[in-house]
Formats: sequence, C-alpha cells, structure tokens
Amino acid sequence: MDVVSCQLQLTSWPEYSVWGKINPMQHVPLTLRSRWRATITFVVCIGLVCWSTSAGVAGDNESRLAETSGLSVVDHDVVLPILLLRCAVCHGLRRQEADLDVRTRASLLRGGKSGPAIVPGNAEGSLLIKRLRAEEMPPRKQLKSVSVKPVRATEVALLVRWIDAGAPESVRLADVATSDPDRLVSAEDRDFWSFQPAREPKLPAWPPETRIANPVDAFILRKLVEKGGNFSAPARRQTLIRRASYGLTGLPPTPEEVTAFLADDQPQAFEKLIDRLLASPRYGERWARFWLDLAGYADSEGVQNSDRIRPEAYRYRDYVISAFSDDKPYDEFLREQLAGDEMVDYQNVSEITEEMYSKLVATGFLRMTPDGTYYDITNFVPDRLKVIADQMEVLTSATMGLTIGCARCHDHKYDPIPQRDYYRLVAVFKGATDEHDWVKPVSRYLPHVTPAEKDARDRARYIVQHEINTLNREVETLKEPTAKRYVEARLQKLPAELRDDLRRLLSTPETQRTDTQIALAARYEDGLRITADVLKELDVEFKRQVAAAEARIKTLTETKLPEAGIRAAWDRGTPSPTYLLKRGDHLLPGRRVGPGVPTVLTDGKTPFQPAATAGEKKTGRRLAFARWLTDPRHPLTARVIVNRIWRHHFERGIVRTTEDFGVYGDEPTHPQLLDWLAVEFVRQGWSIKQLHRVIMTSRTWQQSSEISGESRRVDPDNELLSRMPLRRLEAEAIRDALLFVSGRLDRTPFGPADPVNARADGLVTSKARTGSDVVASTSEVPGTWRRSIYILQRRTQPLTILENFDLPTMNPNCTHRMESTVVPQALHLLNNQMIHILAAGFAERVMHEVGFDSARQVERVYRLAFSRPATEEEQTRAVDLLEDLAAAWRREHGETADSTASAQANRLALGNLCHAIMNSAEFLYVD
Amino acid sequence: MPTRSRRTFLETVSSGLYGSALLSLLQSEHTRAATPQQDQLAIVRNERGLHHRPRAKSVVQLFMNGGPSQMDLFDPKPELERQHGKPYFHKIAGEVEFPEAAGALMRSPFKFKQHGQCGMWISEAMPQLAKCVDDIAFIRSMHTTNLTHELALFKIHCGRMLPGLPSLGAWTTYGLGTENQDLPAYVVLDDPQGLPVNGIQSWQSGFLPPEHQGTRFRASGTPVLHLQREFSEPDAITQAERAFLGEIDERHRRRRGGQPRLAARIASYRLAARMQLAATDALDLGQEGAQTQEKYGIGQGESDSYGRRCLIARRLVERGVRFVQIYVNGQIWDNHSNLKSGLESCCRRTDKPVAALLQDLKQRGLLDTTLVCWGGEMGRLPIAQLATGGDGRDHNKNAFTLWMAGGGVQGGSIHGTTDDLGFAAVEDRVSVPDWHATILHLLGMDHEQLVFPRNGLEERLTGVFEPRVVGEILA
Repeated sequence: MDVVSCQLQLTSWPEYSVWGKINPMQHVPLTLRSRWRATITFVVCIGLVCWSTSAGVAGDNESRLAETSGLSVVDHDVVLPILLLRCAVCHGLRRQEADLDVRTRASLLRGGKSGPAIVPGNAEGSLLIKRLRAEEMPPRKQLKSVSVKPVRATEVALLVRWIDAGAPESVRLADVATSDPDRLVSAEDRDFWSFQPAREPKLPAWPPETRIANPVDAFILRKLVEKGGNFSAPARRQTLIRRASYGLTGLPPTPEEVTAFLADDQPQAFEKLIDRLLASPRYGERWARFWLDLAGYADSEGVQNSDRIRPEAYRYRDYVISAFSDDKPYDEFLREQLAGDEMVDYQNVSEITEEMYSKLVATGFLRMTPDGTYYDITNFVPDRLKVIADQMEVLTSATMGLTIGCARCHDHKYDPIPQRDYYRLVAVFKGATDEHDWVKPVSRYLPHVTPAEKDARDRARYIVQHEINTLNREVETLKEPTAKRYVEARLQKLPAELRDDLRRLLSTPETQRTDTQIALAARYEDGLRITADVLKELDVEFKRQVAAAEARIKTLTETKLPEAGIRAAWDRGTPSPTYLLKRGDHLLPGRRVGPGVPTVLTDGKTPFQPAATAGEKKTGRRLAFARWLTDPRHPLTARVIVNRIWRHHFERGIVRTTEDFGVYGDEPTHPQLLDWLAVEFVRQGWSIKQLHRVIMTSRTWQQSSEISGESRRVDPDNELLSRMPLRRLEAEAIRDALLFVSGRLDRTPFGPADPVNARADGLVTSKARTGSDVVASTSEVPGTWRRSIYILQRRTQPLTILENFDLPTMNPNCTHRMESTVVPQALHLLNNQMIHILAAGFAERVMHEVGFDSARQVERVYRLAFSRPATEEEQTRAVDLLEDLAAAWRREHGETADSTASAQANRLALGNLCHAIMNSAEFLYVD
Repeated sequence: MPTRSRRTFLETVSSGLYGSALLSLLQSEHTRAATPQQDQLAIVRNERGLHHRPRAKSVVQLFMNGGPSQMDLFDPKPELERQHGKPYFHKIAGEVEFPEAAGALMRSPFKFKQHGQCGMWISEAMPQLAKCVDDIAFIRSMHTTNLTHELALFKIHCGRMLPGLPSLGAWTTYGLGTENQDLPAYVVLDDPQGLPVNGIQSWQSGFLPPEHQGTRFRASGTPVLHLQREFSEPDAITQAERAFLGEIDERHRRRRGGQPRLAARIASYRLAARMQLAATDALDLGQEGAQTQEKYGIGQGESDSYGRRCLIARRLVERGVRFVQIYVNGQIWDNHSNLKSGLESCCRRTDKPVAALLQDLKQRGLLDTTLVCWGGEMGRLPIAQLATGGDGRDHNKNAFTLWMAGGGVQGGSIHGTTDDLGFAAVEDRVSVPDWHATILHLLGMDHEQLVFPRNGLEERLTGVFEPRVVGEILA
C-alpha cells in the first residue's frame, strides 16, 4: 500500500521542516540548482496524495499510532480534526443532532440531550468515548449517506488522552505571517528573478534610419544582431490579414475584407485592421478559449462514470467571452473570478444588477475542476481535498505560473514554497470550499440572476412545458379509445360478476372511492390500468400514431432549461480551521495555519489582512488575496499573462515554460523584453487588447514565415524570432473555418451549450440547429452549427473532430496545448460524412455567389479558403479538374443530354474540389 | 542534441521512415528534455530496448472491469469454508463500500482443483484457463488505493486516482513507438455491447502527445473510425480528388522549404491510405481456419464476441502492434449479488477465448515476446453482501489477483499471499505502481527513466512511492 510504505520510511518526518533542513540545495547557488535539476530524479507529487480513507491493514494503524503517541501535548488542536472528520457533519455547524455540537471544548461540556459529552479528567466516564467505544457512533447505517468513515482506534485513544488530560484548549495560535521575519524563506530565496518585481528596462537604442520604433523590435533585434542575424522580410499583406484574422478571431477574413485591406494604402491601414478585428464579437469567442483552457472549463463534473452535466457552467464561459470582448482590465478580471462574491452585497439588495450578476458568475472559475463529490461514495474528505488541490493547481498555474502542488505533501523541492504556505493558501479559500462543510456540486448554484433573465427563463420554461403538456394530452386523447379496447379484453378474462363494478371503479377518481372499491382496486387495478408505454408495446398502430408527439416531447424535455442559477463559489463566513496535513494525508493533521499568501512573494514580514467585504458574513480572505495578486508590483501576475499572450502569437513564450516561472522552469530568452511588456501592460491599464496592438504592430510579428538561408543558419530553431512560425490552426479554428467557408456557421453568441450526439462507434458530433431547434446532424438536415466554444464540453464526450486535432483534456486544466500530426486527422477530413456535407455546402455557396462559370468558381474557392486569388497555373489545373470530375459524374449517372443532370454533375464536381481544398495544408496552416 | 542535427533529423523522420508519431514526439516542445537521441531509434529498432534488453515486444491486456473475485477464481480459502457464517464486519468497517449491507463471512460456491505440472489451484469456473496454468504467473497479493470503481480504474489504467492522465498503453507507445507504421501502435478492442466504466478515459493519452491515445478497433463494420468513406462516391472520383490534393499540398510544401510539419502532414495522408489496407487485412478473420475460430469460441453463443477480439488481438500482435487492450462492456465482474451465476456468465464469455489466445500465441512462438495480462481494478471481500439477496461480494481494495503470461514471466508461479480469509494481501504485497513498473521492465523500460516534463515536474506512470519491479515472477 502506497501510504504504508511511505509512512514506514518517513516516520520521523518533522511536523514541518525548516526550509534549509529539508532542501539539500539550500546553499547551492541558483544557477547551479537549475543545472543540477536534470540529473536529479525528481519525484512526481501533484495529486499523489494519500487517499487511505481506511485502516484495516495492520501496518497502517500501527504506524499511525507510532506517529501520534509521540505527541507530548494533546490539546484541542489534536482532537478537533478527528471530531470534524467523524462527528461534526451531524453534530457541528449545520446540524446539531440531539442538540450536540462537538467543535469546541465549551460545546462538548455543554453536551446535548443526553448530557455533557465529556467529563474532563475522566475519559471512560465521558459519553463521547462511551458512544464511540460501543460503535454506536458514528452510526453504521448512516456512514455512507454522510460520507463518513468509522472512527479508528488510534483516534479514540487520542480523544481519551485529551479528556483524561482535562480537555485542554489549544496551546498555540494559528500559524500566520507576522511582522517577524519569516524563518522558512530567506532573502536569498527572494533574489530569484521571477520573485523580484519587474523593472522597466532601458530600451535598446536604434538609429532612426533603422526605423525600429516598436520596443518589441528593439529588444528582439538586439539579440538577433548579436548573433549575426536580422529580421526576415516583411510578410505580404494578404498573408498579414489572414494571420491577423485567424490570430484574433479564429476565423479567416472574407474575400471582401482582403480586397478592402489590400486597397487601403494609408500608413495606418494595418492598425485599422487590428482595431476592426479586436472590435469583432468573434475576438472574444476566440480568446476566451485561451483562458478557459487555463481555468479548466468543462460542462460536466467528470470522475464518476455518469459524468454529470453542469447545466449552468455556460454562464462562466459567457462571462469570459464578454470580458475579452470588453477588454476588461486583467486585474479586475482576476479579482472578480477570485472574489466576485466578496466585492458585491448581493444578499441584501432588492434587485440584482448586471454588475452583481457578472461578479457572481465570475467565481465559476473556482468551480471548474473535475469533481466526483456528487456521489456519496466519492464525497469523502479525501475526495474533497482532491477537489481543493485541483483548485489550487488551477489557481497557481493559471495566474502565478507556479507549480505549488508539490507543497501539498512536503516543502517544494525547488522553489522556496514551504508546505505551510500551501495550507495558508488553502485557508484563503476555506470560506467557500471547506472539506468539513462541503457544498455538493448540485448545490453550487446561486439564484441571483437578473430579474430580466429570470423572467425570460421562466417564460421560456413555461412555453416549453406548455407544449409538453399539450402533447401529453394529445397522447392521452389518442390512448383513450385504444386502451379501452384492451381493458375490455382483460375484463373478459375476469369473473363476469365483477366486470361492471370494475368498470365503475376505473372511472372513479381515487379520492371518491368507497371502501369496497378500494379493496377491489388493491386486487385488480394494476392489472387493468394501461399506461401509454404499455399500450405502445401492445398496439403497433397506437405506437405509430404517437411516435411524432413522443419524439417531440423527448426533444423538448432534453432541451428544456433548468431554473436559472449561477454556478458560483461564495463565502459562507464560517470556515473551519485549516490544518497542515503531513504528507498531504488528512489523517495526519499537523499545525493549525491561518490564511496567507506564498511568503517568497512578500517581504516576509507583512501580515495577511482579510479585506473588508461588501455585505456581511464573509471572511474577506479571497478579496484580500485577489488584491494582493493584482498589485501592480506583484512580480508574477503581469509577467505570466504577457508571456502567455506572447506565446499565442509566436508559438513559444519568452519563458518557454509558461506554467512554471520557478527554479525548475526555463529562464526567459529575452528577460528585458518580458519586463518591458509586463510594465507596459500594467501602465496601459492591464489591457490585453492594447498588448495585442503592441505585439502585432511590431516588425517581429509582421515578418514572413519563410525560412531564408540566413534565418536557417543563424537561428535554426527560431529561438531568436528571426521569422514568424508557420502554424496549424487550433482544433476550434479548424472546425469553425470549415463551417465558415461552407456558409454553415451560425454566429448566435452565448447561452446554454449546444448538445452533442455520441454515435455507437464512438463518433461525437455536435447537433445542428434549424431555426431555434437543435437537431441531430444527418445529411438530410440543412442545419447550421455554432462556433466550437458554444458546443457542450463534456469530459467523456469530446467532439471527435476537436479531439482529433488535439483538443486537450482538462486535468484539471491545460496550460499548454500540444500539436500532433496523426492519421485520424487525415481520415476524419477525408472520410467523415459531416466534412462531406460541408464541402457540398461550400460548393452551393460558391455557385450561389458567382454562378456556373468554373473559372470564377475556382477563383472564389481560393479566395474564400486561402484568402488569396488562384495563380494562373492553379486556375488552369482546377478548372481542368472540375471538367474531368463533372465528366466522371455524368458517366456515373449515365450520359444524358438532360441539363438538370449536367448541372448536378457540375455541382458534385465542385463539391469534390471544395472537399480537396478543405483537406489541404494551405487551408489548415497559417503563414 | 545540437539544433542543427535535430532539424535534419526531423526532416529525415518526416519522410515517413519512422511514422508520424515519433516525428511529433520530437517536435513537441514539451518533450525537449525527453527527446530521444538519434541513435535511440536504432536502440528500439535493434531490440536493445529503450533502457535495457526487453523480454516482451508487445502487450495484450485482458481487462476485466468490475473487480473479479479472487477467492472464487484463483486464491482458494479453506478457512472461509470453516468460518462460513461468522461475523467479520467489525474488523473491516472502514473498508466496506456498503456498510449497511455487510453480512457474515461467505465461502466460495466453487470448488478448486490443482492443475498442470505446477499443481496450480484454479476454480472450476475456469476449466479452459486451468489448462494453461504452466504458462501463467499469478500475483495474489495485489492491492489498490480506493474501493470505488472509477478511482480504482484510473489508478490501474493511469497510475493515479485522477481522470485525464496517460494510460499504461500510452506510456508504452510513448516510450517504444511502433513496429508497424501502417497500424496504430496502441489498439483498443472494446466490447460492441458497450464501453467499460470510465469509457474512453481508460485509454487516453492525457498530457502525453495525443497520438499515444488508444485507437478503437471494431470487430465488425469499419474497423477504425473514418477508415472508409462515410458517403458514397465512385473510386475514380475519389482518386482524382486525392491526386489533386496531393499536388496542391506538394506545391504548398515546396514553396515553404524547411517546414517539417508540412512534410509530416503529407506523410500522414499517405499513411492513412496504407492503414486502410492494413487494418482491413488485420481484422479479416475469414483468413483464419474454421478450427482456429472454433478454438477461440467464435460462433459459439456467449464466447463469440470475446473470442473474435482475442483472435484479432493475436493478429495485431503478429503485425507488430505494441499494445492491445480487450475490454468487456460495463463492469460484468462486479458481482454484488448472484456471485455464482454472475461469475459463471463472465467465464462463459471469456474463459475459452482467453485460453485459446494463450495456446495460439504459444504455438506460434509469439508468447515469448508477448506479455498477456489478465485482471481488473480491485478484488472482493470475504463477507457476503446482504441487501441484494445475500450471495454477492462487495469491493475490496486490499487484495486481488492478477495474472501475467509470456513475455518473460515465470509460468506456473505464484507471487504473494493473502490472509487466511482473503481480505488483505499480507506477504510480498504488490501495489498497482509495482505492477506497472514490472510491465515496463519487461518491455525494456525503466519506470524511473520513462518521464515526461510537465508543469515543472517530471511526470511518470509509477509516481512517487518508489515502486519495485516484481523480480520474483520474472523467468
């Protein structure tokens, strides 16, 4: 057993170690540390937590006993974790069964209905111990329903020691940062580059004739020139508009947009283009995905096989889209997601405003991790701690570029993050996510939507329900005469003398029946009642009659929205105490800690002060944390986000390990550029759109992606950015672009996710829309589809086309997408029916737009798919192909002079051309 | 590796010689620390192994979802016979999924007999497997870390009790690549009757490059998703369209010199065409004689479906597929009630095909290099589960039996023991990571060196608790 072996080896592990004691590299210079790292067998630790919820195996109990019997003082801090774990769910904060609350010494002394629970100095005379010894408590029959495991002998022994010692109160205060210098993290630890605030560097000076005006270029060129290189030639303008459109909106430019841009010879033309793209609603839909990967967005809970849907998760997705579209300042964006509920007094208002609504929705960020606690069997404390650990992982990897997960079980091996700091961070979130006061996934909804939305939702639900009721009545009406026939037939098999009475019985409502009738009903009614379902089995004709109505009822029921609610995290004002868990094991609580932030990111002598919140009964811990995180002087927050945005433009970050700015991460290739961007980003009001402008107007960004001899010689792997990388579209952009060129893209934004359809052979597709309905996608349906971001993201049913093109799994989030080139991609694009339908749609669209002249058709196809005209050679080749294909189709259908048949052949031929184009590298890659 | 040679190398690779999986493995920024040296390819191909000389080249994992009952199949407990009906719950209270339904100790409804030269005890529920015991090593002392299916499944497939991590098969192909470029390296033969619990998550690639995900093959119809056109079109037209596509892609690539991705893409389209032939051929059971089909239980009621998949597995292994997993639908081995009839039904479906696979591999000389692994995610308790009729067994994470055959394991051997009642493994305990480490070892890999850098960590399948290779079962 994992846990046992670990414990046996480590029984002398200190409660928590002094940093220098446990870290063998404490005194090694940092540069050396990073050089060593490759040779060190690094122990994987995230999520490797001791899940032993149970004893049973002898060694396990014994080692724990060895561990706990060594305690010199058994005070309240030793027993409270046991009481919280085994008793408090029924005798604690939310429930006080038999009027008992076990959480404090005083409340135990006061006791419950049966008297005081403890008698200090006399454990065996205390009710608490008696009940536990008799195995009356916790009651066996209820263990599973409250997700509690039986109490262990070692735990009872500790309770006995505590009571016998007079049930002393806690001897120590919670461990929090004070104004005394911290002993676990040194000034030297803080010297590491990423723990120091970014300072604005001096810009490299370039003579005016070089026309290097953009600071980005000044930094990039300096390093290039140092290595004997230079920028590549600027990309052609039609390349730029395609690159910019895909980059900012995830969609290609229309041929008209390309023409207009090429015709605009004003010096500001490109700036105008960027502004137009940034203002497009498509921008938010594209860039929200970037954040949703980091947040680990999913429309389902995962873990358990049923993979329960999160029907309201979409609100958070919409919030993120709007935040990007509105260019919400990044600092505000973070504060809302971490503590939106503490920023507004939503409980004490008569009407919820848009602002309140949006701040509550934003906290959905804290609710995105996989979470199996919707089942009792995976809702034990360790399961909840796992959810919390994932939450910490998402939080720190997304916003701070730190891998803090290691410190759940032990001090971080490379970065100066003591285990204590991990639990202080956990304590920050305890007001909302408390393993001893758990809000199950099904209850994580706040009803605080705006009145307008509530009204609209109620109305929509009413309309759907009304239609369902009407259809049900129709089915009932149809059922009546047929059912009667079958009832009559059954009556004939019963004694004749009963039949009339039974007929009367069946037409008498239950409330009006006589005693005789009730007795009769008990015996015969079940056999005589025929439900619609039964009748369908019995009567094919009836089944046929109601088929349409039933199908419609099924669709309506499936798509009917639940009552409006916000999937949120909110502070409940009553956090249970947080204990450092030795080796991450909930059965080995150590010191009690209070809320705080990673010490290395502070001056080490400033206490953490909860913030004043809007509305009472909130701890204010998360709001304080959010403000600390978004302080302009924070060394990581701005650096981490600008580095990520940079990576999305250039494929690599300035720090390549975008999720790890710690000692084990890569050093920045252009440290001054990184700092300049971070400082400038904050100066521009944390504006991400402005950051795009700075980056995209640079010569660096506007270079060609062609690999010149010089670029190849000086910078073979493009580490110096001597050219733009050639890039494949991301999964969502591929699907969206396919829909776009075929004219089947539905631009309806926001709202509940469109459902998916899982075929028996494993293909998962999104259902098409026809009008306001969502239907299964088949070749017969002339439907449209929404952008990929609006399709249900269920963990167990990823859309196959997205999955084939490297859609990541969220475990718990994705900080870095990978790109593969594999056969299923080719097979999908070549052989999938949906792609075939879209190719036909593409052909239809082209014919609709330019008519039947094949040269014009080819021209249009190239312009739509590749954002450029066809060359003469391409034109000739494609026109020839169309002729050959049309001839082949005519032969296939039997040569006739019929003009309809000939038009049909041309249409199919054009479809084939479009299909090839949709499969082509030029369609899928951006220069 | 110096950047320049790496680049040249990528271009060589992308010519299709080694297949796209390796190419994209090398291209991925994420694998920079784990990028194989150029000569490592030669190592794998020369059968010197990634880290040491391998005993097995491929794996067939017969996964038995639900938790097969060890004391009713492989681990006889005479003491259970003696103590039948005695209370036991109080001793294992924290270890029971359904405490409210926990009953007394319950003996096995099956008789055990000794088989083979080694005299292995096997229950009468598996008469065919009993004939193969001299080739099998049984690990009776397996234990895992959670008693719910989902989490225990994540553990046994991916090493940890978390969704979204790479599976054993993904790690294997990540480490070894493939021996047949025309077929996927990691094939999943799931049950046409339905997915196992946890569905596709059981063979995901997690944070490893996506091509290491298991590819589902179907026993009938189109074997691989999208392997054939889902629409009808004359072949001549498809060919003309493909030829045109080839031309424009080639022109696109020529104009963009030195972009290995584009060459890799073209190679993957060629591979798609080859796979169409190779997969169709591999799944054509018509090429097998009637006698062979009979041995596998094909065309014989309940064993037909599993038999087909076992035979396909052999054909895939013959063709160099690295990792084959055969699943059953749902969790048929989860016998909370009707233990006897439930197990009998499971064995009717699988016993004959599994034995046939072992015998067939052996007779073809493939068993030496093929590791066959049989087992589920957990075991079952010695006590009865009452609520559902009184003859079921609840989950047990503290003991279960797995077996392995071929590929360098010592046939006719037993490793580890459970206590007298079969509740917990007590001697030579083997954890799931130990078992993973052993499989990797047999494949020529060191579990500590098979790493993938991610989020500042070097992730590995076997995790942090220093697992050990179970050397005792190696031949």
